[in-house]
Amino acid sequence: MSRTLPLWDALVATLRNVGRPMVTEPLPWHAARERKDRYRATFALVHNELGEEACIGCKMCEKICPSQVIDVVAGGRKESPVTGKKRGYCDDFTLDLNACLVCELCVQVCPEDAILMLRERTPVGFSREDLVLSMDRLYANEKPEALAWHSGSVFAEIQDPERGLTPPEEDA
Amino acid sequence: MKTLDIGGVSVPAELVKSSWADPWLDIDDYDAESDLMALNMGPQHPSTHGVLRVKLFVDGEICVKCVPYLGYLHRGVEKLCEKLTYVQIPSVVDKNDYVSPMMNELAVCMAFEKLCEIEVPERAQVIRTVVAELQRLASHLLWVGTWGLDMGGAIGGGGTLFLHTFRERELVLDLFEDLTGGRFHYNHHTPGGQRHDLPAGWEASVKQVLTFIEGRLPEYEDMTDNRIFFARTKGVGVIDPVLLMELGVSGPVARASGIDHDLRRDAPYCVYDRVDLRVPVETGGDCYARFLVRMAEMRESIRLVRLLIDSIPPGPVVGAKMVKLPGAVKFKQKEWGSAYSAIESPRGELGTFVIGEPKKASPWRCKIRPPSYHLVSLLPYICPGEMISDIVVILGSLDPILGEVDR
Amino acid sequence: MSFALSLLTGVVLGSLAMFVAAWSIWWERKFAARLQSRPGPTEVGPIGLLQPLADGLKLMQKEIIIPRAADKLLFVISPAVAAAGTLALFAVIPWSETVGVAGDLNIGLLWIFAVGALLVLPQWVAGWASNNKYALLGAMRSAAQSVSYEVPLLLSGMVPILLAGSFQMDEIVAAQQGGRWFAFWPPGPGALAFGLFYLCSLAEANRIPFDIPEAESELIGGVTTEHTGMIGVVLQLAEYLHTLVTAAVCATLFFGGWEGPGAWFGMEGFLAEGLHWMVLKTLVLFALVFWIRWSWMRYRSDQLLKICWHYLIPASLALLAVTAIWVRLVEGA
Repeated sequence: MSRTLPLWDALVATLRNVGRPMVTEPLPWHAARERKDRYRATFALVHNELGEEACIGCKMCEKICPSQVIDVVAGGRKESPVTGKKRGYCDDFTLDLNACLVCELCVQVCPEDAILMLRERTPVGFSREDLVLSMDRLYANEKPEALAWHSGSVFAEIQDPERGLTPPEEDA
Repeated sequence: MKTLDIGGVSVPAELVKSSWADPWLDIDDYDAESDLMALNMGPQHPSTHGVLRVKLFVDGEICVKCVPYLGYLHRGVEKLCEKLTYVQIPSVVDKNDYVSPMMNELAVCMAFEKLCEIEVPERAQVIRTVVAELQRLASHLLWVGTWGLDMGGAIGGGGTLFLHTFRERELVLDLFEDLTGGRFHYNHHTPGGQRHDLPAGWEASVKQVLTFIEGRLPEYEDMTDNRIFFARTKGVGVIDPVLLMELGVSGPVARASGIDHDLRRDAPYCVYDRVDLRVPVETGGDCYARFLVRMAEMRESIRLVRLLIDSIPPGPVVGAKMVKLPGAVKFKQKEWGSAYSAIESPRGELGTFVIGEPKKASPWRCKIRPPSYHLVSLLPYICPGEMISDIVVILGSLDPILGEVDR
Repeated sequence: MSFALSLLTGVVLGSLAMFVAAWSIWWERKFAARLQSRPGPTEVGPIGLLQPLADGLKLMQKEIIIPRAADKLLFVISPAVAAAGTLALFAVIPWSETVGVAGDLNIGLLWIFAVGALLVLPQWVAGWASNNKYALLGAMRSAAQSVSYEVPLLLSGMVPILLAGSFQMDEIVAAQQGGRWFAFWPPGPGALAFGLFYLCSLAEANRIPFDIPEAESELIGGVTTEHTGMIGVVLQLAEYLHTLVTAAVCATLFFGGWEGPGAWFGMEGFLAEGLHWMVLKTLVLFALVFWIRWSWMRYRSDQLLKICWHYLIPASLALLAVTAIWVRLVEGA
């Protein structure tokens, strides 16, 4: 072997890192990690601009969820007290974070932008039940400042900027 | 260098051996006294890269027979795919090769597109190429670090190399987080394109990160280009290219043994046909050659991303109305159909064979051909005759990902 | 009187050694963290200074699991023997002209070689008694390595003995007074002897690049695989102390012991000599061990032995001969 293969190169290479800024981040009680714009962790159900519950109980999210963690009980069509028109309602909505993949497909298919994700830390709990988000907990998560950027209409615009939102249709 | 022509592939002549180790060696025949020690490496062992279990019959420290056992990470992904729709599957296969999730998504999406004859728009094709190359870079960075762990120990020089490469890999993951919001479960690809469009200023930060990582690559070489590293890798685990071809091994391991094969160039997908790809090939066939190939591939990935990042065309990122509904993927054909599509993942040919049922939104069968499975099948042939320390290094140099092997 | 004083110094130095070992773990962790762009321990105490205490407390609470098939007595006793043997090495280190337990032992260096060579025994026994295949492999590697590296260690350790004309640690230091540190004078043999001695000490103390007996990526924990809780800690602490005492021996044999660089220029007082110089030299040599450890990979066991028998033993023999000629011709002894 004509090359010298010096061992001190490794020593110099490691020593070069002594002066570099540290890359590990301090523990959470010192400072929170800066979250990216598209960070997604937990879920929220939101109200629409009229102040009504936006979820119409169409079960699209339940159908698309790959790990089947969403459970929707549709409430049937009723007259809305705000607009007076008939619309669907959701009686119960459960999301089990234990098996959630955080793939945001449910957000993507929602025709009413009712289910959104939060840019908050993933919740932790002491039992499996703590990670099951009931409807009340999902509505309590509705924090405008922490909502993630994605919603059904954002995705619809990415797919098809001209047509916008498409009405739900049945499985072919 | 002398080459041999084997089945139309020219391979370095000096690597071709007359015989390989016998994986079905009868231990009782080999050693009637049976004073060999059966050493169980894994499934919980620091350097079996996940949950591979290797049963070694050792004579002192020399391995006589090696039997890999698989299946500790079996999650039934292929069966799951038969129940899920084409839109849902990419979010599930993320975890197959947990070092390069983007590649898994891309592989299944491309097969579904071929089956369903879905057009992918120009912009999506270029973005796919860019994220695939970034993922290759991240995957190889992780490989350099973990291989260092195999040779230098978690508390030692290997640990330092590991943390250095992870520091740089983190930057790539940050880019992916900017793009998709996830660091692991990207769920970025969908049949027909991408689910996310590029955020503002992403191209600029990609270029910044690439410059940074390119500046750090020589440091890894500083840490590894020394006599200890040479002693541990040079001439260790030489693999016969004929054996590689018989076992269907592809990727950097094959290229390190002189097989000039890269799907990105030989069967181009996405926009690889538009770029001038330089495929690094080494003729050493040993662990050091595999290291050189992967380091060269990292540089090549950086170059490719640089070529493409400025010329991402405007337009939609999804081809048709693919993503809105669970059953939205419609067949053009009314009969049964099948498609196979393969990509060059960081470990080799990652293929998906899919059989589509008419009028159904989910595949009848979805077979994933993982490159790592073929890498693990090499072990019984190359481990006998090596020392335990070398087996660890060889296993690391093959870089199998057990999530992909067991699926 | 003198015996009582020695006993007292021994107790104080012995406990101090344990403390120094504990805090040198902190020092190593900080140092390694900086090499890896990490902050290292920061939480317990100012800049993590109390981390060793917290670690100790945690480790003391851990259960000591003794495998059913293990040889219980040997399994438990081997860490204690290892620690006791290592502490015994500290006895002959002269920390300064006055501080030291048995610095005036007339076979001081021989004691270090003898007891140091014995330390392979508890290692081997610990591996054997665990009744674990990985531990057994580690024990076998440890035995092969220690026995081989003992030879060049001894031969290169003979160089300062030849130069000083004594086995006594005090006198070896005294022979280096006035800046004639053996690492620099005579030019050549001294520095080479230091290099050889240091390399072999790394192997003796199972440090990277020669830490194959407990190569955790191959043998999980080597001889310490089955040792949990406090007995595991004691086994590892013994190795740690071995490294520390190796650094101290190097400082004594090659770097003038307690003499400071002030003495070269005819100064007096704390710049010229004192306990602090010895401690400083020890810690610097100790840090060099970390630096090597966190930068290099490790050798394979057969390569390790090849290095020893092919290169280190002939080199140290040649060095010994050259030194003998130097002593005979130049110094006219």
